[in-house]
Amino acid sequence: MYFKCSHPTGGSFVRPNKANFGVDFLTALKKRYALEDGSDDDGISCSLIVGSKQVQTVGFESITKKQSHLRALQNISLWKCAVSCAGEQGRIAETCPNIRVVNLSKNLLSSWNEVILIAEQLNNLESLDLSENKLQFPSDSPTPSGTFSNLKILVLNKIGITWAEVLRFAASWPVLEELYLKSNSISISERPVNVLQKLTLLDLSSNPAIDESQLYLIAYLPRLAHLFISEIGLSSIHFPDAGIGCKTSMFPSLQYLVVNDNQISEWSFINELDKLQSLQSLSCTRNPLCEVDKAEDIIIAKIAQLKTLNRCQIFPEERRGAELDYRRTFGIEWKRAGGHPDPDKNRPNAEFISAHPRYQLLCCKYGAPEDEELKTEQPFMLKNQLLTLKIKCSNQHEQKVLEKQLPDSMTVQKVKGLLSRLLKVPVSELLLSYESPKMPGKEIELGNDLQSLQFYSVENGDCLLVRW
Amino acid sequence: MRECLSIHIGQAGVQIGDACWELYCLEHGIQPDGFILDSQHDHLENTKMEHRSASLDTFFHETRAGKHVPRALFMDLEPTVIDGIRVGKYHSLFHPEQLVNGKEDAANNYARGRYSVGSEAIELVLERIRKLAEQCSGLQGFLIYRSFGGGTGSGFTSLLMEQLSVEYCRKTKLEFSVYPSPRISTAVVEPYNAILTTHSTIEHSDCTFMVDNEAVYDICHHKLGVKRPSYATINRLLAQLLSSITASLRFEGPLNVDLIEFQTNLVPYPRIHFPITTLAPIISAEKAYQEHLSVTDITAACFEYSNQLVKCDPRLGKYMACCLLYRGDVVPKDVNTAIAAMKSRTSVQFVDWCPTGFKVGINHQPPTVMPGGDLARVQRTVCMLSNSTAIVEAWARLDHKFDLMYAKKAFLHWYITEGMEQGEFIEAREDLAALEKDYEEVGLSF
Repeated sequence: MYFKCSHPTGGSFVRPNKANFGVDFLTALKKRYALEDGSDDDGISCSLIVGSKQVQTVGFESITKKQSHLRALQNISLWKCAVSCAGEQGRIAETCPNIRVVNLSKNLLSSWNEVILIAEQLNNLESLDLSENKLQFPSDSPTPSGTFSNLKILVLNKIGITWAEVLRFAASWPVLEELYLKSNSISISERPVNVLQKLTLLDLSSNPAIDESQLYLIAYLPRLAHLFISEIGLSSIHFPDAGIGCKTSMFPSLQYLVVNDNQISEWSFINELDKLQSLQSLSCTRNPLCEVDKAEDIIIAKIAQLKTLNRCQIFPEERRGAELDYRRTFGIEWKRAGGHPDPDKNRPNAEFISAHPRYQLLCCKYGAPEDEELKTEQPFMLKNQLLTLKIKCSNQHEQKVLEKQLPDSMTVQKVKGLLSRLLKVPVSELLLSYESPKMPGKEIELGNDLQSLQFYSVENGDCLLVRW
Repeated sequence: MRECLSIHIGQAGVQIGDACWELYCLEHGIQPDGFILDSQHDHLENTKMEHRSASLDTFFHETRAGKHVPRALFMDLEPTVIDGIRVGKYHSLFHPEQLVNGKEDAANNYARGRYSVGSEAIELVLERIRKLAEQCSGLQGFLIYRSFGGGTGSGFTSLLMEQLSVEYCRKTKLEFSVYPSPRISTAVVEPYNAILTTHSTIEHSDCTFMVDNEAVYDICHHKLGVKRPSYATINRLLAQLLSSITASLRFEGPLNVDLIEFQTNLVPYPRIHFPITTLAPIISAEKAYQEHLSVTDITAACFEYSNQLVKCDPRLGKYMACCLLYRGDVVPKDVNTAIAAMKSRTSVQFVDWCPTGFKVGINHQPPTVMPGGDLARVQRTVCMLSNSTAIVEAWARLDHKFDLMYAKKAFLHWYITEGMEQGEFIEAREDLAALEKDYEEVGLSF
């Protein structure tokens, strides 16, 4: 049996006698890299016709000669070549022992045992790509010692492997540095103990079954520097072993984290990332959080040691700008939460500190934000521009004190016009002045008709004095 | 035998050179101190090692102590950029005499680079080049890296090229130039510098590969997802391109492309020597191993406008020559299939008078990427060098900008005060107009 369909009636159209059961490794290799003996290509390979143009091919014969020296091959690709088995034992080792990099993706390999049979003959194997083969991992596979002894890169995307199987076979990959496990519906079930310890890169993207708690299980791989966890539906992360402002012991060597295409929408996620000891580069795109205005600047301000964000280098001026902006944007909230420029009075509440753990540090670096910086602009509404003024007529005491709301841009002439209609006095006879409760006893004349109330610094609550 | 000297001029040239030699060292297994780490290659047969050193020899000089020194000269009229190399990671790779700098820079002024400040530095530079040439048993030619828009890159290079033609008349000179982008400018007087330098170097250069920053920014943005690429990212991309172009010179390969062969195959007339460069595939490191790109896929990508490193549309012109340099795991069978797939494209039009349009080369050395860089490791890459009449669009744009400024005699006094004459401007502009006419003529049918 090659594989079982995931649906009971799937595959019902396949007719057994039409199915291609594949070829062995060497047949595929020779088909691609060497000409058969006595081939008929010799004469034709020197020139081809492309449209109406002759194409001169230079060096093709010598290439095929070289490649028919399969021994010299080091970097090969047998993508989609229908490789299903290793073939006769020992033949691979005889024919092409120097192979270092093999791409066996999209073939018909059905069992890890076949892979072992191929790999044990390739002592120099450093990089192996087995993506898109539906591999089974029998529980009794013995791996001869020495196989995979040089294997540094292993690509197992889309093969339906489970985490338990990865760990089981990881013992036979002692020097593995890069492991790609995309799209395998993996959920991490246990901690790797004594295996995968040399791993520097782990790609677990597109495995939606992974959640935050499972990440703790891989948090102690000592050399893990690159972690790709895009498209896993991640929304939060916590490092409970470290308090605010402290560094976590999890992911000690992690330098480059990729969390694109997730469900991150809380800033607490970014706050937690600041706790990582070695984080230098973060890729966080296509998350709900990134829709926020100036999200990138906020991320830069929240993670102190970040040097690259979304593949763009963060220059010192950019960092300075982002941090200053952050300090200003959240200044009012800080004040409301109990923050104060005077260190003795500065006691922001716990909620603020957990939402903005770096805020205090930024205040120490740049100084506490001043009130002037924090004044938000009043929205430009007409009602904010109106001055409420009392109007007293000094001559006639029987007149009541009127209260009127006037815009500060209103000219004295227009004010006089308004008052003349109200008081039934001709405009030319009016003399205006005002007094302010801020300056008791002092009366300021509004002499120039063409100037506005604002020119004379008339403010809210002042009193206009009218004489005629 | 067949050694190549690389000369890096001006800030652009020096920084591209920095990225380039870093990549070459990675490819040859050379450590920052110049010694090769042998362990990984021990098990290969001895003959293989010999071949390797023979090809390594074209770009690196091996001292008696076993240290590999690049056959390169870095030159700038001001010290900052060269000092960056002196304190950088690879500072012990270069001999101090290979890093030359002046004290006062050319201030984006062709006239300064060529006449006033440049003329003081030229003797020293020529002497250093002589020394490097003496170390070669059979110097093939020079690779010159520079930008058109800067002062040193434009002015000093034209002076240097003239002198090199006099001293080394039979040696090939290939240029790798950063062309001023259509919409992004780093200097207002770029058009002046570019046109003046093109006029002076056109007869001394055998082939000029052009790249422009805007095209590279777009590639970084769309293919690598980097919204604001730094010069480091861009230079690494250019280093990959250069590595592909020079791979056959540095590694044993079936296609023996030496510098003269480039000329012979890409340049139909002496003045028509500006091929367009394209590189494929360009994949972000975050997407490694995601997609499989066959030879057909990457060949098709070469004919896409978006993969080009110069902004000009080849669909509006005709191809005169096309050189496809494959690298890595590529078999002739796949190349045949790929080219057959391209033949059905009506957008690939050749001129009538050029019978053999394509030249294909394969080098098995797999492409290397800088660790921690933006590019993903791939099994095969292709670099296409195509000589197309569409490049006249780039010249026309530049000429137009030149005309607008020259009509008002804007910024001219900076050049005049350094000893240039207005006549030179007129001469240069006329030369470029003639170049445009030449391109038009070669594109005509019989």
